[in-house]
Amino acid sequence: MKILTAREIQRLLVFAGLVCSTLVIASCASAPESPRGAAEARSSLTALQNDPNVANHARLELREAEAAVRIAEQPLSEDEEALGTHRVYMAGRAVSIAEARAATRYAEQQRARLAEEREALRLQARTREADRARNDAARSRSEANQARDDAARSRDAANRARSDASQARNAADAAQSSAAELTAAAARQAEEYQRQIDELQAEVTDRGLVLSLGDVLFATGSAQLQGGGNANLDNLVAFLKQYPERRVQIEGHTDNVGDPGYNQDLSQRRAESVKDYLSQHGVASQRLTASGLGMDRPVADNGRATGRQQNRRVEIIIENPQ
Amino acid sequence: MTQLKKRTSAGRICGALGLFMAVIMLGACASAPPAPVASITAARQAISGAEQAGARQYAGAELDEAHEKLVMAERYVNDERMVEAERTARESLIAAELASARTESAKAAEINREMTRGSEALVEEMRRTGGQR
Repeated sequence: MKILTAREIQRLLVFAGLVCSTLVIASCASAPESPRGAAEARSSLTALQNDPNVANHARLELREAEAAVRIAEQPLSEDEEALGTHRVYMAGRAVSIAEARAATRYAEQQRARLAEEREALRLQARTREADRARNDAARSRSEANQARDDAARSRDAANRARSDASQARNAADAAQSSAAELTAAAARQAEEYQRQIDELQAEVTDRGLVLSLGDVLFATGSAQLQGGGNANLDNLVAFLKQYPERRVQIEGHTDNVGDPGYNQDLSQRRAESVKDYLSQHGVASQRLTASGLGMDRPVADNGRATGRQQNRRVEIIIENPQ
Repeated sequence: MTQLKKRTSAGRICGALGLFMAVIMLGACASAPPAPVASITAARQAISGAEQAGARQYAGAELDEAHEKLVMAERYVNDERMVEAERTARESLIAAELASARTESAKAAEINREMTRGSEALVEEMRRTGGQR
């Protein structure tokens, strides 16, 4: 066997080194397959990358997760299962971190919006408060004005009431005095009436004023009023003229001497002549009713001369006003 | 002669490179690396940061996971399984980061809810005072 030169030994060594390294590399790369779980990590990552809210808020984290997922996806031989599990774990956590960071930043961004909203609300509330205060002030002012107006009105009313009261007092005084006058007038009138009644020698009855004209007016058997100056009849005329609304009944009566038919006729004629006298002296004949009642209504005993004289009479009934 | 010399030196460089690569490759696959002190430290810091941010309240599950991974990584270190220790430490770190991220997002959402409620209360109040008059 020939002895190898130094150069040949070198070449051999180089060759051996190359073979060795090739073997090592080959052993590391054999049976290529992605570890289990890598696909899930990839799909989670893809979902995040497609979510704009995440993609915009966690770019760096997503890149890191992408790198981790790529590593996890690298095929490994079966005996490197533990490494695969490790890589898948790392990739999964990286994806989760990206998701959480994105959520945080999204929330922070939202917070800015929320803060603006709240600021706007506060401003609105303050504005309202101010408006309310202003309104309150305006209302108070108008209430004060109103109160002032009310007070003025009350003052006017009081003045008016005072003047009304004095007027009323005056009116009451006037009324009192006029009432007194009326009373006095009525009293005077009543007095006058009584005086006239007395003058007529009339009797006050339910039917009215009754006055009796004695037989002195007529001659026996005659219906002719005896000549003039019969004071009683003149008083009656004056009275009737003063009370033109009163109706008058004129009743003729006789004593029981003689024929009843004759007496009846005589009493009628006597009543008629009184009626004629009255109407001739200005008393309206519509007010006057004349009737003959004969001897049916004696006022005294016909058995005696004075009684018979009292029964021969004409009664004037002045009716009470309706 | 000079040409021959040149060829010889080129072959040497090639050989050296090949050897170097082979050594690297072999080393990567086979040798036990040193303890992943940096990764474990980073994970521990991330966990305490998440706790301070309130992850206990807002992202308890993620925080627990980060804790468990950290404990596991330390156990791997004790067992001298440095590759697993490194990976688990990194998992712990990223779990802690996720806990922090979820805590922040939960807090942000809470603040927004609070603000929305405040605005709604304001609107309600305005509606009521508006209705009084």
